[in-house]
Amino acid sequence: MEIRSYADYLRSLSDDALIALFHSRSDLTSPVPSDIASLAVRASSIPSLVRAIDSLNKWQLQVLEAAAVIAEPFTEKELLQHTDKTAKFAIAALVDRALIYQSHDGYRIPNNVREVLGNEIAGLGTPATKKLKLKDLENAPAASKKVLDAMVWGPPRGAVADVKKPNPGLKWLMDEGFVSPVNQQTVVLHREVALALRGNKVHRELFITQPAIEGRTVNSKSLQLAAIANITTFLRWTEEVLNFWSQEPATALKAGGIGVRDLRDLSQHLGVETECASFVIEVAYISGLVTIDPDDRVLPTHQFDIWLAQPASVKWENLVSAWLITSRLSGLAAAPMGPELDRSTAALIRRKVLALLEESSPVAPTLESLRAATQWNLPYRRTGGIPAEYIEWIAREAEWLGITGQGALSQYGALLLSGDALDVIDSDLPATVDHILIQSDNTAIAPGPLEHEVSQELDLIADIESRGAATVFRFSESSLRRGLDHGRTGDEILAFLKKTSKTPVPQPLEYLIGDISKKHGKLRVGIASSFIRCEDTALITQILRDKKVEALGLRRIAPEVMICTHDAHDAMQVLRDAGYLPAGEDSQGLLLSGPRVQRAQTKARPPRIVGEFEQPERALLEIAVRTIRTGEKSSAKQSTLRDISQEALGSLPRTTANETLDLLTKHLKETPTKSLSIGYADNNGLVSHRIIDPLKISAGSLLARDHATGEVLTFRIPRITGVATL
Amino acid sequence: MSDGPLIVQSDKTLLLDIDHPLSVECRRAIAPFAELERAPEHMHTYRLTNLGLWNARAAGHDAEMVIDTLIKYSRYAVPHALLIDVAEQMSRYGRLRLEADPVHGLILVTTDTAVLEEVIRAKKIAPLLGPRIDAETIAVHPSQRGAIKQSLLRLGWPAEDFAGYVDGQAHPIDLKQDGWKIREYQEHAAEGFWHGGSGVVVLPCGAGKTIVGAAAMAHAKATTLILVTNTVAARQWRDELLKRTSLNEDEIGEYSGSKKEIRPVTIATYQVMTKKKNGVYAHLDLFDSHDWGLIIYDEVHLLPAPIFRFTADIQSRRRLGLTATLVREDGMEGEVFSLIGPKRFDVPWKEIEAQGYIAPAECIEVRVNLTEAERLAYATAEPEERYRYCATTRTKRDVVQELVSLHAKEQILVIGQYLDQLDDLGETLGCPVIQGSTPQKEREELFQSFRTGEISCLVVSKVANFSIDLPEATIAIQVSGAFGSRQEEAQRLGRVLRPKADGRGARFYSVVSRDTIDQDFAQNRQRFLAEQGYSYTIIDADDVFQGKI
Repeated sequence: MEIRSYADYLRSLSDDALIALFHSRSDLTSPVPSDIASLAVRASSIPSLVRAIDSLNKWQLQVLEAAAVIAEPFTEKELLQHTDKTAKFAIAALVDRALIYQSHDGYRIPNNVREVLGNEIAGLGTPATKKLKLKDLENAPAASKKVLDAMVWGPPRGAVADVKKPNPGLKWLMDEGFVSPVNQQTVVLHREVALALRGNKVHRELFITQPAIEGRTVNSKSLQLAAIANITTFLRWTEEVLNFWSQEPATALKAGGIGVRDLRDLSQHLGVETECASFVIEVAYISGLVTIDPDDRVLPTHQFDIWLAQPASVKWENLVSAWLITSRLSGLAAAPMGPELDRSTAALIRRKVLALLEESSPVAPTLESLRAATQWNLPYRRTGGIPAEYIEWIAREAEWLGITGQGALSQYGALLLSGDALDVIDSDLPATVDHILIQSDNTAIAPGPLEHEVSQELDLIADIESRGAATVFRFSESSLRRGLDHGRTGDEILAFLKKTSKTPVPQPLEYLIGDISKKHGKLRVGIASSFIRCEDTALITQILRDKKVEALGLRRIAPEVMICTHDAHDAMQVLRDAGYLPAGEDSQGLLLSGPRVQRAQTKARPPRIVGEFEQPERALLEIAVRTIRTGEKSSAKQSTLRDISQEALGSLPRTTANETLDLLTKHLKETPTKSLSIGYADNNGLVSHRIIDPLKISAGSLLARDHATGEVLTFRIPRITGVATL
Repeated sequence: MSDGPLIVQSDKTLLLDIDHPLSVECRRAIAPFAELERAPEHMHTYRLTNLGLWNARAAGHDAEMVIDTLIKYSRYAVPHALLIDVAEQMSRYGRLRLEADPVHGLILVTTDTAVLEEVIRAKKIAPLLGPRIDAETIAVHPSQRGAIKQSLLRLGWPAEDFAGYVDGQAHPIDLKQDGWKIREYQEHAAEGFWHGGSGVVVLPCGAGKTIVGAAAMAHAKATTLILVTNTVAARQWRDELLKRTSLNEDEIGEYSGSKKEIRPVTIATYQVMTKKKNGVYAHLDLFDSHDWGLIIYDEVHLLPAPIFRFTADIQSRRRLGLTATLVREDGMEGEVFSLIGPKRFDVPWKEIEAQGYIAPAECIEVRVNLTEAERLAYATAEPEERYRYCATTRTKRDVVQELVSLHAKEQILVIGQYLDQLDDLGETLGCPVIQGSTPQKEREELFQSFRTGEISCLVVSKVANFSIDLPEATIAIQVSGAFGSRQEEAQRLGRVLRPKADGRGARFYSVVSRDTIDQDFAQNRQRFLAEQGYSYTIIDADDVFQGKI
């Protein structure tokens, strides 16, 4: 079978080759295409090509770039000449990904690859339209050579004052056809010329191998110790953040996420810098341990309670596995838990960085070499390479999480990446302690990680003074009061301390607890809307038993005083209706007499006056007139055009999406100068009729000049409801 | 995972388990770079501060040694971030050096021009500098040596001072160890100070700070200026120096309100130094009147502000600060360190007690109930009068009387803040009262007869807070104090800590009114001592009357 197209090539592949292709470009099978033709369309579509090209390393990308600039079809030998002998392997990798294919007359690359690679690939300009005498380059005058030197490695365009009046050097080049004008002020150096001057190479420098990773070798014992310390710390941070919010939930910003002030409070609470605090929040968020409820409060979820009960290895795995796949980058300067942290490439970069760390373990790579190696592996980002700080953040976060210890991949990180069981963490973590040591300066020390129940109870009745492997708690009046506020009694607190402390509870602390619990709750505060008092206690008792005033919800709080949940006015009304004779009292206790005149509590807001307009300024009126006139003109033009097209077609054209694309492509190839009539849906789904001169198809859009406005517009192809030639 | 005595916390505190067999060894290892913060019964808290780390660098320890020590003794894995921070902070020290240059006088030299560029642009530093000499050197006004060191410290780029100290005028001074011997910790303290050049020595009251001073003088062998709190203290210093050193009476001068002698060793009071005449400090010239080789600041926690300022200007002289309680409620501890010098020696009180050099003491808080009428009066008192009201309540008088009669056979000090309360107590107890207005001569006579046992009970105001040497006092009863002052409480306890001839323990009673701010202040006052491992027992006034103590 003769291979005349990309589809033909794919058709010619064996099952194994297709499977290999699907393996390296998994997006091709979701969903599974209906036939090879649609597979070919998908594989050469821009989104799919972007993904495929993003997965290339720098060397493969360079070879692909070279393939994209030499004339099609080409042979392997030609491509090697333009790059390097070792490119063979890179070519194989590109063929595997179907980014280069073998047709009946040589290698070709699918449509759109050039589109994805961008304009001026490798700094090369457009090919010349006529045959050039490249040999003449050697005889170029000195002035022209200078121009060539400036343009040969790109960018291939140069700015001039006026192409009509070139300087002598440029004039020679233009006369020879080596350089052509693009517009009034720009000239371009043709591709063939630059390639010839580059000695038939495409790139000045070839990046054939990954830059070596350098760094310091970390002693394996201290590496594991550091990692386990990091893991313990991170789990503690997570727990503390969420406990902190269980007590006092933060309020999310209107735009979503945690505000600067809450973040600062939290980082002070944890004793870490804000970047670290916001990372802890993000990890808890992506692991589902915390959420923003409908009232905009940031609250731990039930998942958190389940998480707390798990052994450390499971806790860690929960957090870390969520981090591995998330597309969020907490290093970006935006509110944690907010909407602006997603970067589609984050997970890919993260995986790569970790893979590099795994490769280099037990060396802790320097940031520079890690950055260089990552950027070699993932060179192509349309934004111009991976931002260096992403790699720094990932390395920093891996350290916080304990995937690395002192910068090198830890045993636990390796287990995580290989997907093995992490139980070893539980045995490597310091054993928890169940006791504290209380000292006479009102502090208590937990000489190791404290058991969950004990630490929760202590959190209630003591303030944490120092955190780490051990915890130092301080008892103070306010901390003990907090415990009492949470329903503990003085005796309970004392019993708990006696049970948990290995050392006797110092007497001053016992006294402190006694003093505070004695005072606590002596004052009672409640809610009432009005009160009723009477020196005659018998009358009070009578009212209290009176069924007619039951609605008032009266409660006697002293022999002569009752409180009421209704306001004073209602209470008086009900009492009067029931036959009593109440009188009102003001806030000073003075008797109020006379009819009560009612006043609104709100500020006066008189209605706006309607019906009179301010006299607008003349300038504004002039603008209005001008706008109307312009609109008039354009709609007149549109309606004429509509009439013409309706005459020609009768109604809006209708074609299917595939037909549309075909028609447009064909039209551009064969009769690019003629106008087309299309139906185009706007944002609201309203279809309008446009007459256009198509210019170019790119990235799912059609670039065309609209007759109605005379402007060049972008039409999204899926929104074109139909195409017809005029 | 080792099972060391030390727990390194991520907030840079170190917890030392003192019941651990390696705790003594570990304490010695971390002492050069970590500062002792609290020393209660079971776990001592040390802290890694930038200042402490820089001092360790100055004393010749490097970051590697610090990190190794932490890892060696740590019970759990040491947080990596902390180790990095330690290395980083220590590497900041010494990038700038102050040197004496034969041509330009005092110069600031750097090994890292970027640092120099950074500091000379700092607003506070620019005025202290002279002309730029080359890329790495800049001249410094010699008079600003102290100020520039202080400012650089605040910027986080401490300068290593190679400009040295002036030796001062030589004067032979030796320790005269006949019939007594300098204690090991005193010698350590003096040596620690001498090697560091300048600094502060912290020792408990009664642990013999004067001897540390004398030992330092014996190291310096130069004319010495000693600044003390009051005249009584000045005389005690003189007596002690006569007893312990080769100095004779003619070599020691007193510079106080009554006498103005300047001798090779001169003892001056803070009071006279800060006395103003026609709006100027008339006596600050004393600092310049002699080519002093050593200046000793006794009770450095009381250093008054004018002397602070002046001390900044005499950075080329060796300075020794002595104190038991370097806590200032005004938070000026940092100033003391940067002007006098870093802490060179500190040891938990309980450790000295364990060695038998200070008497064991029992601290008891006696709580008295206000009567109903007193409570009412207290509740309605003006806020600024409240403390005075509850601290001087009449009920206290009966308790004090009872306590005094319980300890009738011992030497008792009753200490208070308010003069009318003290007069009242003096009358009730029938014993003499010493206060600010008591003439110097009478004070000394009274102290002397207390020492000999002629008088068994003295009522004293805050004049007796410091430096009064009353070895035989075993009971102190505090009835009121300067609000919540922690160091006052410790100093008052210090009055009874001198070891007793018969090895008896001391008792410190603090009489406090229940449910008033007196009680709140008492809690704050007790903090320093609690952090040194003294635990208070609280008893009811009724227990006192029933003799249940």
